[in-house]
Amino acid sequence: MNVYSLDTLTKAYNGRPILDIDHLELETGRIYGLLGPNGAGKTTLLNILGFLDQPTSGRLDFFGKTVRFQERELQPLRKEVVVLDQYPVLFTTSVYRNLEFGLKLRKVERPERERVIDEVLDLVDMTSFKHEPAHTLSGGETQRIALARALALSPKVFLCDEPTASVDIENQAAIIALLKEINETKKITIVFTTHDRLLAAGLAHQTLVLNKGRLVSTSYENTFPCKIEPVSGKQVRCQLPGNTWIFLSSSALQSGASTSRLFIDPEKIRLYPADKAPDSSPCLLGKVVQLMEEAARIRAVIDVGFLLTILLKREQYESLRPGIGDTVAVSITEDAVILSN
Amino acid sequence: MDILIGSLLSALLLVFSLDREMLAIVMVSLQVSCASTVLAALVGVPCGFFIALRRFAGKQIVITVLNTLLALPTVVIGLFVYAFVSRRGIFGPLDLLYTQKAIILGQIILIIPLVSALTIAAISRIDDRYRRTAMTLGANRMQTAKVILFEARFGITAAIVAAFGRVISEVGISMMLGGNIKGFTRTMTTAMALEYDKGAFSLAVALGIVLMSLSFGMNILFHFFQGKYRA
Repeated sequence: MNVYSLDTLTKAYNGRPILDIDHLELETGRIYGLLGPNGAGKTTLLNILGFLDQPTSGRLDFFGKTVRFQERELQPLRKEVVVLDQYPVLFTTSVYRNLEFGLKLRKVERPERERVIDEVLDLVDMTSFKHEPAHTLSGGETQRIALARALALSPKVFLCDEPTASVDIENQAAIIALLKEINETKKITIVFTTHDRLLAAGLAHQTLVLNKGRLVSTSYENTFPCKIEPVSGKQVRCQLPGNTWIFLSSSALQSGASTSRLFIDPEKIRLYPADKAPDSSPCLLGKVVQLMEEAARIRAVIDVGFLLTILLKREQYESLRPGIGDTVAVSITEDAVILSN
Repeated sequence: MDILIGSLLSALLLVFSLDREMLAIVMVSLQVSCASTVLAALVGVPCGFFIALRRFAGKQIVITVLNTLLALPTVVIGLFVYAFVSRRGIFGPLDLLYTQKAIILGQIILIIPLVSALTIAAISRIDDRYRRTAMTLGANRMQTAKVILFEARFGITAAIVAAFGRVISEVGISMMLGGNIKGFTRTMTTAMALEYDKGAFSLAVALGIVLMSLSFGMNILFHFFQGKYRA
């Protein structure tokens, strides 16, 4: 069953397009990570999914029913979905009153309210804060109480805008564990935005990437702004950060634009020991700065003047055995590169 | 200097002996000022709330007009209301001139712009996340408005306190529309003006002390409650 189904959905502010999604379906009970650079439209999408903002055009279905963005119809839908801000605010009253707010609106009886509040405070490990004034809490505590306030309402969908961006490591771990737990035990569908690909990979069942308001099939990492210059009729060169140049055939260009975004597929980049770089293709020399195990693959981050992420299959890693600080050669072939405007 | 010290001492004596004439004047002042403040708040706060939250054509012009009206002299309002409530005015048959009602009417006109403008400022300062949070937790428009009103409570209270301070200390409207009738429309400020004219400073200084103490007390009370909710 789909929670959301989006069709040709767009959003524009003052005529400037912010969001342009052809088609997207989000299934019930899953966790979706929404990745993308600043200004990609992540928060706007989250607000539309939370019925706090309305699209300029297109269709949004919620549990199979087309949403009509009229205040009278949106209010009951908002009772099924809760949006958690990146920097949530608590009302300037007690923690208890904050947790009670949504329950009272839903006309939950007092004994039941008490039970639910105790349960969610226990879940976020904040029981001792029950009667504290909300404005005295720290950022991490505020985030957890805001989470508890949302959970108290047992929503069908939970939309979190960068849930771990404004908290310390300890609180990050607690929030991630909590999101996993509520998804597993309460089957709540979760959509969260993040810049952190590792968080998305670790928490989400599916990762979606937004770029300039559009869903893109590429990964968020290894996306760089680049300046394109023609070299000859058949070749162009792309200037990347760190004054690094990549040469591509003119056919790789989709239009005659002189600036673009360049995505390098981390799975298609070839890695060689520095002294065994092939002569057939030009290589960039760089230093290994990070190695990390990720599912069945190894993530290597190479400093080639800018930080380049490479995903190695375990066999590739075993045969190369690169170490931190080693100098390596990186080969970026044309099939690993996608240029977009 | 001797006159000032002498007046101050006899004024303190009047204050601490709870002089009946002084108390009667204070009571009239409080009655009139409280009534005009409450009525102006009932109109000004919803007006300010509406203007702050709604988008409409000419909103900026309305705010500019309100801000301009803050500088309206009390004698101009006195003159304006007089034209309506004097015997030849359209409200002449109501016999409002030289009554407390006339003073209240003038004072309401004086402070509605003040309450509205300060309410607009207070509401505009409220982070939009409060509105969005209330909405995502299931609040309808009215419930969301209540949340915003609650979060702006100190700003709105400050607006009402400022309005009370404005009316209790004004003299033009009280004098022109009240007529300074002893025991009926004589307020602290009009009594002070009269005593000054008579060259008798004791009661004037005593009323000045009461006036300052009232303002001081209200501000202390306001800051005490506001301070409780500061992080």
